[in-house]
Amino acid sequence: MNMKFLTAAAFSALTVMTPLMASAEDAPVRVAFLAASSQNGFNQAIYAGIEKAAKAFGGSVTTEIFDGEFSATKQYSQVEDLVAGGRFDALIITPNDTVGIATALEDATAAGLKVATTLFPVGPELSNMQPQVKGLTTTVATDPSIGARAQAEKVVEFCADKNPCKVAVIIGQLIYPFDNLRNETYKKVLGEHSNIQIVATGEGNYDPNASLKATQDILQAHPDINAILSNADQHLMGAEIALTDADIDLSKVYTIGGGLNQIAVDAIRAGKWNATLTQVPASMGAAALTAIVKSKRGETVPTWIDESKLRDIPQIVDKAWLDAHPDFVAEWQG
Amino acid sequence: MTDTRAILAGGRQAPRFSVASFAREYGVLVIIAALLIGLTLASDSFLTPRNLLNIVNQSAPLAIIACALTLVIIAGGFDLSTGAIFGVASVSAGWIAVNVDPVTAMIAGPLIGVALGLVNGVIITAFNVHSFLVTLATSLVYRGIAILITGGALIPVRIPEFAWLGREKVGMVNIAVIVFVVFMLVMMLLLNRTTFGRRVFAVGGNEEAAILSGIRTKLIKIATFAISGGAAGLAGVITVSRLSMASPQAGAGMELEAIAAVILGGTSIMGGAGAIWRSVSGVLLMALIGNGFNILNVNPFFKDLTTGVIIVVAVALAASKPRR
Repeated sequence: MNMKFLTAAAFSALTVMTPLMASAEDAPVRVAFLAASSQNGFNQAIYAGIEKAAKAFGGSVTTEIFDGEFSATKQYSQVEDLVAGGRFDALIITPNDTVGIATALEDATAAGLKVATTLFPVGPELSNMQPQVKGLTTTVATDPSIGARAQAEKVVEFCADKNPCKVAVIIGQLIYPFDNLRNETYKKVLGEHSNIQIVATGEGNYDPNASLKATQDILQAHPDINAILSNADQHLMGAEIALTDADIDLSKVYTIGGGLNQIAVDAIRAGKWNATLTQVPASMGAAALTAIVKSKRGETVPTWIDESKLRDIPQIVDKAWLDAHPDFVAEWQG
Repeated sequence: MTDTRAILAGGRQAPRFSVASFAREYGVLVIIAALLIGLTLASDSFLTPRNLLNIVNQSAPLAIIACALTLVIIAGGFDLSTGAIFGVASVSAGWIAVNVDPVTAMIAGPLIGVALGLVNGVIITAFNVHSFLVTLATSLVYRGIAILITGGALIPVRIPEFAWLGREKVGMVNIAVIVFVVFMLVMMLLLNRTTFGRRVFAVGGNEEAAILSGIRTKLIKIATFAISGGAAGLAGVITVSRLSMASPQAGAGMELEAIAAVILGGTSIMGGAGAIWRSVSGVLLMALIGNGFNILNVNPFFKDLTTGVIIVVAVALAASKPRR
C-alpha cells in the first residue's frame, strides 16, 4: 500500500467517524426515574434534581417519573414493563425493596439499560455501596449505619453529664431493613455508655401523627425523658407536639431527626429542635442522572457516589451551623 | 322448676345469665376489661387519668369516623373512601387556614367531607353499584385530589387560631375529646331515637321490605355516606389542627382501621344490626393495645401480631352468638 492510499483511507475513516463521535456526545438518552413514591416529598426532590441535571445536557436527555406507590411488587413490575417496553436507555431507582428488586434490575442491565440506584444500595448488604447487581452503573447513597452512628454520638455528647440519661427512639418501621440497621446502630452506640438508657422504642412510620401518638404514650411512662433520637424529621414534628402538650420544656430535651427538610431547618433555627442528619435528595438525583448519562455516552463513572460528600454541609446540621449559614435552604420541603 | 312454672303459667321463659353468652354478646368489653386489668398490673403509668385521657384524645379522629361508619354498615353499605376523604379534607383545611382564614378552614373540612360523601352515595344509588366497589374507586380519585392540592408536599399550618381545635384543653380534657363525645352522642341519638335511625336499620336489615314499607332507601343510603364523609372531614381537621401540618398521605389506611373497629365492636357486617357504643369500644380496644405496647416498651414486632390475635378472638366471640 502506498502512502497516498493510506492517507486517503485515514481521511475517509475520520470523515465517517467524526459525525459518529459527535452524535455519541449528544445522542439522546431517555431516563426513567422509578420513585419509591412519586407523591412523597423526598422522592419529588430527587426527581427535581434529575430534571435539573437533564436540562444541563441541553435537550438531549429526557426524563419521566414512575410512581412506585411505596410498594415493592409495584416497582418490580415497573422495571419489567420498562425493560420490555424499550422506551428508555437508563433507569434511576429509589428502591422500595433493596433486596427483591435486584433480579429485575439485573434483567434491565442485561437488556443493555444503564441503571443507577439512589438513597440505598440494591442487594442483600445495606452497608455495601459497591455494585451487588451485575452491570449496575452507580449507587448514589451513604451507608445508613454511618448516619445513624453520627446521630447516636450526638446523643452521647448531650448525655455526657447526665446519669441516667433517658433516651426514646422513634424509628420508621422495623420491618424495613434500613430502619432495622439504624435501630441496631443506635442500640450499639448508646449501649456502650452505662449512663444512657433507651427507655422506649416507638415506630413513627414516617408519619407525624403516628410519632405523636407514640411519643405521647412514651411520655406517660417516662415524663422525665432526656433525649429523643429519630431517623426522620417527620417523627420529630409529632414528638415536638407531644412534648409541648405535656408541658415539657423543649430546651431541656435533646431532639435529633434525619432528612434535613425545610421544616427541620426552621425548627432548629427557632431553637425548637437540636439537630438533624443531612440528606440532599436533589443533589442525589442530579448526581445519579449525570453519572448515568455519562456512562451511556461511554465515559467511566464511579460505581459509588457518596451522598454525604455531594454538598459542603456537615453530616449533622445544628443551630450553630444554620446560624452561620442564614441563607441556607433545604433541598426538600418535608 | 322455675322455668317449668313460668312455662306452665304461660309466661315467657326468663333468660338465664351465663358468662359464656355474656362474653359472646359483649366480647369487646370483656377484652377491654382484661386489657385494663393486665396493663394496670404491668405498669404504674397506665391507669392514670392523664393516660386514659391521652388514649381517648389520640383515638378521637378514628372514633369519629367509626361512629359515622357504623351508620353506613348498619344500612348495608361499606365505605372504603374515609381515609382518602380524611386526606382531602386535611389538605384543603390546611390550605384554607394558611391562605384564607383558620375558622373558615375548620368549617370547610367537614363540609368538603359531606360533599365527597354525597358523591359516593349518589354514584352508589344512581348506578346501583355495590358501595365496596364505588368507594374503592372514589378513594383513588380523592387521594389523587389531595396530592394535586399539595403537589405531594406537607403544608405547615402553624397558626394558633387553627391549633385550638386539636391542641387546646378545657381543664384536663382536650377540645378534640369534647368534640368526639358530642359527635358520638349525636350519632347515638340519630340512630336510636329518630325515624331516620329506624330507617337505617330497616334498609340494612331487609332493603326490599324497607322499599315496600315506603322508605326511600336511596335517600337513606346517600345520607349515611354523606354523614360518613362529613365525619372523615371533621377527623381530618382535628388531626391537621393537632399536628399543625397537613399531609396528602394523611389518613392512609385509616378506612381499614375504622372498619376493623366497627366490626370488632360487634356491628354486623351484613347490615341491619349494630350500635355506636360498640364501634367506640372497638376503637378504644385497638388504642389500648397501641398504648400498652408503647408504655411497656414491648418490641414493636409483636404489636401487629397481638392486634391481629385480639381481633380474631373478638370477632370469633361475636360470630359464636346463636343466630336467630
